[in-house]
Amino acid sequence: MDAFQGLLTGFQVALSLEGIMFVLIGVIVGTLIGMMPGLGPISAIAIMIPITYGMDPAPALVMMAGVYYGAVFGGSTSSILLNAPGISGTVATAFDGYPMAQQGKAGKALAIAAISSFIGGTVSVVLLMLLAPALSSVAISFGPPAYFALMFMGLTAISSLSEGSTIKAMIAAVAGFMVVTIGIDPQTGTQRFTFGNVNLFDGFDFLIIALGLFAVAEVCMLILNRKNRSLSDDQKLGSLKLSKADLKEMSGPVSRQSFVGFLLGVLPGAGATIASFISYIFEKRIAKNPEEFGKGSIKGLAAPESSNNAATSGAFVPLLSLGIPGSGTTAVMLGAFLVLGVQPGPLLMTDRPEIFWGIIASMYLGNVFLLILNLPLIPYLAKILSIPRPLLISLVIMFSLIGVYSISFNVFDLYMLLVFGALGFAMRIFSFPAPPFILAFILGGMMEQAFRQSMTISNGSLSIFVDTPLPLSLLLVALISLLVPAFLKWRSNRLAYKQR
Amino acid sequence: MLASINRKLGLLIFIVAAVYLYLSFQLPNYEYAPIDADVIPKGLGILLLVLSVFLFFSRVVETDAEKAKRNIPKKELGVIAAVFAMIFVYILLFEAIGFIITTALFIFFCSWFLGYRAWKTNILVSLLFPIVMYAIFVFALGIVLPRGILPF
Repeated sequence: MDAFQGLLTGFQVALSLEGIMFVLIGVIVGTLIGMMPGLGPISAIAIMIPITYGMDPAPALVMMAGVYYGAVFGGSTSSILLNAPGISGTVATAFDGYPMAQQGKAGKALAIAAISSFIGGTVSVVLLMLLAPALSSVAISFGPPAYFALMFMGLTAISSLSEGSTIKAMIAAVAGFMVVTIGIDPQTGTQRFTFGNVNLFDGFDFLIIALGLFAVAEVCMLILNRKNRSLSDDQKLGSLKLSKADLKEMSGPVSRQSFVGFLLGVLPGAGATIASFISYIFEKRIAKNPEEFGKGSIKGLAAPESSNNAATSGAFVPLLSLGIPGSGTTAVMLGAFLVLGVQPGPLLMTDRPEIFWGIIASMYLGNVFLLILNLPLIPYLAKILSIPRPLLISLVIMFSLIGVYSISFNVFDLYMLLVFGALGFAMRIFSFPAPPFILAFILGGMMEQAFRQSMTISNGSLSIFVDTPLPLSLLLVALISLLVPAFLKWRSNRLAYKQR
Repeated sequence: MLASINRKLGLLIFIVAAVYLYLSFQLPNYEYAPIDADVIPKGLGILLLVLSVFLFFSRVVETDAEKAKRNIPKKELGVIAAVFAMIFVYILLFEAIGFIITTALFIFFCSWFLGYRAWKTNILVSLLFPIVMYAIFVFALGIVLPRGILPF
């Protein structure tokens, strides 16, 4: 099936009544959760997963994708209005968006953000549509060693690109992998670390980890910040209208950063947050008047907004075509696929074209919906920011508990949710990044399987990973991605010592 | 010697890694599996052990932002502990008393405890949320939540 035919299939899914409805639900829920400061896309996706039980996979996944890019779209609103980014991907949005809002141009800032997001998202879907099938057809020949190396590279990339200490990020990744070894080993039937507890035989469901490490831990942070301001009723948004000059000014950054964001989204480990920062710095470097950045520059707002949305669709490339998530958020997306019995990967495009193309086609539609939602309706949607924090906290706790209970009907899992919530909170306090943990947890089982398959093929010799060029080069990239930041840090430390 | 926070964390993680590694050496072996169930856990245990040593000896100085994040007033930690205790009690009673009643009580008291004083809205939300969720899950999604002592 060629891309055009595929896309037609996709639009049949996306433009059916069911498809339109679930895209709309997805983007609205995503926007609303994304707007809440402190609640990120991972929590948004994890909270929505129980709703999809028993649904048809195609509309369910179309909805989940909508939740994801909707959350990135919606995160900008609280960045601009409250200077409290809804998600980490919109931190850079606040740099110029909040100053604009303070100058009484909140409406204009929201409009710029919405249009930039729309263009970034749409450009990126076109690129996704072109790249994902190509990558799928290449990846179909990948054997277990290549898959193992790819996943290994994904983990090292996310560790070295995480904020803060690389060592801590690697510890988080190893810990996530360790948690997945708990339970009955699927290949030999050995009980590992279960201590004879029946509840642990199947291991931990990923939803317990996702909701605990993210939603519950984020709730703890919300509790600490519960007295922060929420939107006051008298805050005026101002006009949403943009002048021709405004549009002209944003056209440059938007067209450049849509591509930059997409590329960074495709690469493992990066994603919306890093893309938005890189795009911001990129535009500031090449700007004629960089001193305007940080004081309400249109360019400084348009750049991260187009980039983070482009990165979001870009992140679907490895997820859909390789079946390997490159970030914490896409790891949870993969979980959503697996819950519905869909295995993304090179076979998805041929085996389940309605899902593969349905998701891609629905993104065109979703971006249009988001533009409509975020332009005329934004003053009403923003009202959700005035929801009292204590109430929000209680409700998010409830959503998490219901979500976990509805997967297993087992109270033991609820206690485990508390345990992982406490772990997630501790990780946040002591600056251990959580995305490597969840990515390793999701990839861990697949990695172990790929590793053992490779070793079975090679009769127990590790040389299988270095004998063929593809696994070898991937492992080398992984090694470099760990060593380069370590070397840079070591050098800057040495320089610092010398200066003292 | 344990002056910096990285040293304390490093030591803690070292202990966790050592326990994990000890347990992975207890895993049974089968002769004919080329890669047995204990290989990956042993590898992970050793990796974590090494990383914890790195963390222990790392000279990276904590940034002010990281320090501020760690510096939480005791009272606030108490608030979080209290919320966790409430969740614990909720889980304890959830199946016996039923979803609607426990959830309503939890939302009301948790919101109240965290400083929400508009009690009329609070009661309204506490009642509507569990009823709507119950209806969605049980009747629309077919996911059964504990009925408890209520008749429906």
